[in-house]
Amino acid sequence: MPVTAMIIEKGDNVATCLEKVVKGGSVRLMLNGKMGKTLKANQSIPYIHKICIKPLKKGEHCMKYGLSIGVASKDIEVGDYIHVHNIESARGRGDLA
Amino acid sequence: MAGRNGSATRSKRLRKTWWGYPRENGDVGARNYLLVLSGTLYANPTCERVARTLRHSVALTHPLGRCQIGPDIQRTFETLVGHGQNANAGAVIVIDHHREEGCTADEIAHEVAKTGKRVEAINIREDGGAIDATAKATRIGMEMLRELTNERRQEVPVSKLLLGLNCGTSDTTSGLSHNKATGWVTDQVVKQGGRALLAETTEMMGGEGVLADKCVRPALGKRIWRMVEEMEERILACGVDLRGSQPTGDNMEGGLTTIEEKSLGAIQKAGSAPIVDVIPWAKRASRKSGLHVMDTPGHGGESITGIAAGGSQVLIFSTGGGHTINHPLMSTIRITGNPLSARLQADTTDVDVTDIFEGAPIEVAGQRVYDEVLEVASGKMTKAEILYEDNAFAINRNGPSV
Repeated sequence: MPVTAMIIEKGDNVATCLEKVVKGGSVRLMLNGKMGKTLKANQSIPYIHKICIKPLKKGEHCMKYGLSIGVASKDIEVGDYIHVHNIESARGRGDLA
Repeated sequence: MAGRNGSATRSKRLRKTWWGYPRENGDVGARNYLLVLSGTLYANPTCERVARTLRHSVALTHPLGRCQIGPDIQRTFETLVGHGQNANAGAVIVIDHHREEGCTADEIAHEVAKTGKRVEAINIREDGGAIDATAKATRIGMEMLRELTNERRQEVPVSKLLLGLNCGTSDTTSGLSHNKATGWVTDQVVKQGGRALLAETTEMMGGEGVLADKCVRPALGKRIWRMVEEMEERILACGVDLRGSQPTGDNMEGGLTTIEEKSLGAIQKAGSAPIVDVIPWAKRASRKSGLHVMDTPGHGGESITGIAAGGSQVLIFSTGGGHTINHPLMSTIRITGNPLSARLQADTTDVDVTDIFEGAPIEVAGQRVYDEVLEVASGKMTKAEILYEDNAFAINRNGPSV
């Protein structure tokens, strides 16, 4: 059974996995209650964490809700686990102040 | 727990009224407590003794009210006045210790009396010390409660509600489920001429543009941008990084990667209602129907204390991780859409909206939360209220003790 992952806005880079996903497991995308295509997870993804559904180059904004949730700190492929290891906040950054 | 197989799983007509205690100034209380309010930390035990002796009373105690610099003592004073004025307090006894500069029981009582409710000030030193002051306050409080408990609830429209909005231990389910259901409730309350109060400035970082677009005047949008900027400047002025504090450890465990992501989920609570005012911490909200925004930190206890001082009678606390948070005076309804948290924190979860992840429309879950708001406003106790989980009275401060 593929794990369902919810997309909030069309065009977002990420979807939220509603169950934990094992490496190589399949993830089925859902937008506005409608099921879409199925992806393969490149790494394991914990419960309710995010999967990349649209690739990102280092320095590009990662979009969720149709808005930026931060910047890619490295290139990210479709199917990659997305979290603090590859996305950085652009706000309240003491190291950049 | 309301939900899943609860009574309101199918769409039905929305209730338009609730039952509350009308006050002289036009406010309506969802509770009719005797409030025993401490002016300073040295009066806390006396307040607690009085409240323990008197049924239907609530003590609010805190570590402040002494040796605070100007703006901070003013902030403490306004917070205490705001709680005394909150319509959930039917009558108030304020107790201080000796002479608390800028925050005396007399000054607090003077402001609270402007609402028309009965208020008395007790000074521990002048009233004969801890034991005699306790006896005097207890005797006055008993007479107040004889009057309060003889009052009856009356049916009032939803427009009399100032609904507090707050979230906590957010995770990725927050922006998808419980905050969306909360936003739906906000819209219903505002459509009927009521008010809602959004807070948590830290969690507007990254969502300022969305909020500014909701403002009825461009000047209000500018104030939102400015207050978020000031919050960011205060953080950076400490020579630190927001990362590590926000998102918090439990936010990140819940899949939230950055403060921007947390914010965009948090502001779903605003629904689509127009923002009609932007106010500082603990200031009383104006009577304008619509969404009001208060400048508070992301700290849940401090944020909801500001909201209670602003006049909210009932608050929706929407949580990803589940929560025990509860304000002693303002009824606090905890809701979650996270299936794991709904199970682990069932003891203090009042409404379960996990069916959103099984495809239930937001309005179905939203209506369940709306019904709970009006039921709790009408006297139904929340789980944490029954359990005396009175953990969230926390006064915000900026400066040092001196």
